[in-house]
Amino acid sequence: MIIVTCPVCNASGDETDFHYGGQAHVRRPATTDAANITDEEQRDYLFIRHNPKGLHFERWRCDRGCGKWFHAARDTVSLDFKAYYGITELPPAEIIAQAKGPWADYFKERMKAKK
Amino acid sequence: MADLHFQSALAHRSMPDNTSISMREISERGMIDLRGLTTDKKFVAAAKAALGVELPKVPRTSTTFGDVQVLWLSTDQWLVLTGRARVTALLADLRKALGTIHSLAVDVSDMRAIIRLEGDGVRETLMKGSTLDLISDDYAPGTVRRMRFAEIAALLHVVEQNMIDIYVFRSYADYAWEFLVKSARRGSEVKLFPNLIKD
Repeated sequence: MIIVTCPVCNASGDETDFHYGGQAHVRRPATTDAANITDEEQRDYLFIRHNPKGLHFERWRCDRGCGKWFHAARDTVSLDFKAYYGITELPPAEIIAQAKGPWADYFKERMKAKK
Repeated sequence: MADLHFQSALAHRSMPDNTSISMREISERGMIDLRGLTTDKKFVAAAKAALGVELPKVPRTSTTFGDVQVLWLSTDQWLVLTGRARVTALLADLRKALGTIHSLAVDVSDMRAIIRLEGDGVRETLMKGSTLDLISDDYAPGTVRRMRFAEIAALLHVVEQNMIDIYVFRSYADYAWEFLVKSARRGSEVKLFPNLIKD
């Protein structure tokens, strides 16, 4: 059983009080014209997800509380939540530093885009 | 069009006589759903002017002024309680005060059914259908919390130490009532928390 704490309203509860919303930071292909999207890009956007052993980034909703969405960094082995952060935010820097594999690549790219 | 009139979802239910806590429906209460941004000072001031009381900003709290009570539902949502007869007038006041401010106020009096539970074992009875630690200090009188109760969405309002109002969506009222009657049946008290039970 996972105990989740909502960073918006601070309510703590069993995972059944919350709703898992899939992988975080999934981005729609950046174009306004659907004709520019290849089948591969659309496939990746809709279906292809990371499946890491260890640190993972997810979306959650405070389903039976304030109803707000938020992001969480969670360890898929220990099930521990490492950090909670806003739905429009990136994880804290120390968590990003721990990211591995495709997640490390993703955050490196996001940081580069920010600069 | 036929006259629209309120009919309780639990009208056909009679007071149970074999429960360890007392249960009754509160049907005379009107509810207004209010949404807006607390970062908008105009919205907060307008709501206070119309309701006579500050909107609670601390999660899971409530404020009261006369016959108006405001329950915190979310960072941008409140449930305003008042007498059923006063709802129309209060809603008009609220809408007038809010004017063009980005906000929403709707009469939702018939959306939920309210069940009032009273008695020494009320928290334990509710815990039979919930994962929340209702005997902790987090649930002092005045606390409001949306919760998952008996697999359905419910709103918990701790009125007094041993008096709790449960708000469930109207279509679930019958189910919630039945669940409560069964879990509060005399002889099924949990009695795991002796500090709550006064013999």
